Amino acid sequence: MKRQIITNIVVLAVTFIIGTIASIDFLKMRQPDELYPSISLTKTGVLSDYFQGIKGTSGDTRIYYFDSGKPGASVLLLGGTHPNEPAGFITAALMVENIRVISGRVLIIPQACQSGFTCTDPFEGYPQFFTIETQSGKRKFRFGSRVSNPLDQWPDPLVYFQYPSGQKLSGFETRNLNRNYPGRPDGTFTEKVAFAIMNLIKKEDIDLAFDLHEAAPEIPIINAIVYHEKGEEIALTAVLNLESEGLRYSPELSPKNFHGLSHREWGDRTQVVPFLMETSNPIQGRLRGRTNAKLILKGVSKEYKQAQESGAFRIVYESSGEPLKRRVGRHLQGFLAIIDAYNELHEDKQVKVDNLPGYSDLMKNDVGHYLR
Amino acid sequence: MDFELVILIVMLGVFALSVFTFKIPAGMALMLASVAGALAGGEGIPVRHLVEGGFGFLEAILIIATAMIFMKVMEATGALGTISYAMIKSLYRFPTILIIVITIFVMFPGMLTGLSSACILTTGALVIPGLLAMGMPRLAAGSLIAMAAVFGEVAPPISIPVMIIGGGVDMPYIGFAKPLFLASFPIAVLTAVFYRFKYLGKFKIEEVLPKLQAPVYRKHGIKLFIPLIFVIAYLILEQNAVPYLPHLGVPLVFIIGAVMGLGSGEKFNFIHISRNAVRNAMPVMAILVGVGMFLQILTLTGVRGYLAVNALALPVGFKYVAALIMPFFGSAYGSASVIGVPLVYVFIGKNVIVLTSALALLASLGDLMPPPSLLFAYSAQMIDEKNHFNILKKSLLPIAASVLTALAIIVFANDLGRLLF
Amino acid sequence: MLYWIYIFILVYLTVIVMIEFLSAEGWIKKITYAMLLLPFILRILQIK
Repeated sequence: MKRQIITNIVVLAVTFIIGTIASIDFLKMRQPDELYPSISLTKTGVLSDYFQGIKGTSGDTRIYYFDSGKPGASVLLLGGTHPNEPAGFITAALMVENIRVISGRVLIIPQACQSGFTCTDPFEGYPQFFTIETQSGKRKFRFGSRVSNPLDQWPDPLVYFQYPSGQKLSGFETRNLNRNYPGRPDGTFTEKVAFAIMNLIKKEDIDLAFDLHEAAPEIPIINAIVYHEKGEEIALTAVLNLESEGLRYSPELSPKNFHGLSHREWGDRTQVVPFLMETSNPIQGRLRGRTNAKLILKGVSKEYKQAQESGAFRIVYESSGEPLKRRVGRHLQGFLAIIDAYNELHEDKQVKVDNLPGYSDLMKNDVGHYLR
Repeated sequence: MDFELVILIVMLGVFALSVFTFKIPAGMALMLASVAGALAGGEGIPVRHLVEGGFGFLEAILIIATAMIFMKVMEATGALGTISYAMIKSLYRFPTILIIVITIFVMFPGMLTGLSSACILTTGALVIPGLLAMGMPRLAAGSLIAMAAVFGEVAPPISIPVMIIGGGVDMPYIGFAKPLFLASFPIAVLTAVFYRFKYLGKFKIEEVLPKLQAPVYRKHGIKLFIPLIFVIAYLILEQNAVPYLPHLGVPLVFIIGAVMGLGSGEKFNFIHISRNAVRNAMPVMAILVGVGMFLQILTLTGVRGYLAVNALALPVGFKYVAALIMPFFGSAYGSASVIGVPLVYVFIGKNVIVLTSALALLASLGDLMPPPSLLFAYSAQMIDEKNHFNILKKSLLPIAASVLTALAIIVFANDLGRLLF
Repeated sequence: MLYWIYIFILVYLTVIVMIEFLSAEGWIKKITYAMLLLPFILRILQIK
């Protein structure tokens, strides 16, 4: 009996210690990432300004407004729709810290799925943070989950019926922001966040919107600009111009029957012309080897090199690696090219931005150079 | 030798040593193997990763715990015994049909939940006494319900392995009903017929019926089956997104069913039944926590990628060999996500819906394989078999037949695609 | 609402697992129960 009690105490004590160590790590991800906006910032707001239903939840996220005060088009840019696709978030952060808007206005949401930044996914072995060397020292950023934190939305159904299309997806996707558009005010946590973003697009009368993503190197749609049919001319012009600069982007028309995605629902349901961009991100891929923060920053994976050389299937992977600077550079250059193409086609309503580095600048100076 | 291979050998070695030499339960052995793998991979003891991995199957664990409570309740009310009795009594003259019906009956919960454990824990447990009473050898009975559980997991309308693969390649879960039917029902019927002729001799119904639990239908009437009808109906309706039906989720449906059982038949103590259920489900739930840790460390240390790349780097003619690796991941969901997704690309050019359905069958066989051997671990408990690997041995032939079926579907994916759509 | 019902189910299961933990014999069995308790409790405490 006495032995039984001792065993109970010892096992419970060890469990408590393990639980405490893990909890401290888990809770570290609740600390928000700090950004230092450029001087042309006109105001900051939060997503709940557009839908009160997410106020006070971890779905509420910061919006940065850069208004030139001069007439022109309104642009929205989303990073961090998938918090495990860091080039999207970092590109948005870099823009917040550098951009100057000359005409029109630019709204930036660096962490669209704020909830996903508060945890990482089981089985993936992901790091929680990565560090970038900047001019003012080291800055730590969160690397999160592809979907909302289960603490915000749980349990997942076995089958996710996308609203309102009724399209069936695996239950996990019910927390995927980019499967939840247009969302609904009385829906799940993630549907509410999607609904708030839709409201923002309508209320702010956004003309052009970007959703920055990354994808595993083996995914067919990669290094791509996905466009709604409304934006075909803009997309194709941009891709041609980028090609003449030596950068290849594959233009992909948004499938009409695949619902819940930003490039489909934003375009179908609002006035906006949406674009989604993808870069090749080895840490998301299923063939990746050792999983750590270095893989996020350097993007070097001998496994992807080997798989590509085997010719087993199409893999988009540069043999020297897919570093964060290249991925952020591609997003920035793609953004600038689309803006230019839009301006070419809309002389009466232009948006002009300045002080953003392009692809070659990023490749030369790296990301940290442009973060404060 | 590649470093990743060394890590893998360390992990498998520690697992084997723990299970076979030190007789440690598989769940804990998987945890020890994970710690050893992390140490060998130079990660120290990554407490956060280990605990996070343990969360991976939390929902499956909840389903198992609640399904087990529900089934124990149904057993206690007398509902299970009554159904088993009625099935055998009405079909005993046609043993081949009886076994086919039993097999499809066992598959049923998996068709609804996409979870093989749901079959074993509910309908599987229900038919075991009947099979044994009819004279089917213990190991064969355990094997049949485990195989049926695998086919149930593959069968439409709900196949989670397909959804997991679909999630990885951005493919919506649409148009899978026919190919999934093809990948599950013919092989299920074939397996049933095989067990009928190999293991089921002549039996006298008057000797079988007394061995079964006495039916209590006359005492309680139709209310005996209300919890079962509720659970089955609700799961079907919920999976088909019937408008205005609130989403409850599988565990809650089981819990509601269990509570309804309180007034439906024979009396029982709910806390006592719950303790009994948790005690029974404990080995499997611990395995799921352990497998989660194991998968997390495989990914962290790069072993997962190493395995996938080396499978894919095989020459063209060996693509099918790569597909054959799927069952050996020891977990249907693990296999579907780790190797199922890249395999879709390996077989690019084939009808992707038909192909994925076949891959789902291969992945689902993973639930039978060690290290966890989840389904056999369960059926072993039901037939009082200490070493569940004996049931695995008994099942080698149907497993091989299932693998061949899947491979044939992959080979003829395009022809089948034209035929089906 | 559904979220809190599931947390309640977890609390119930945690209590049952805890009772089994306390009455289980041998440290190996106890560790197996503890493996299960950890994710249950961290979810109930809204940590993970």
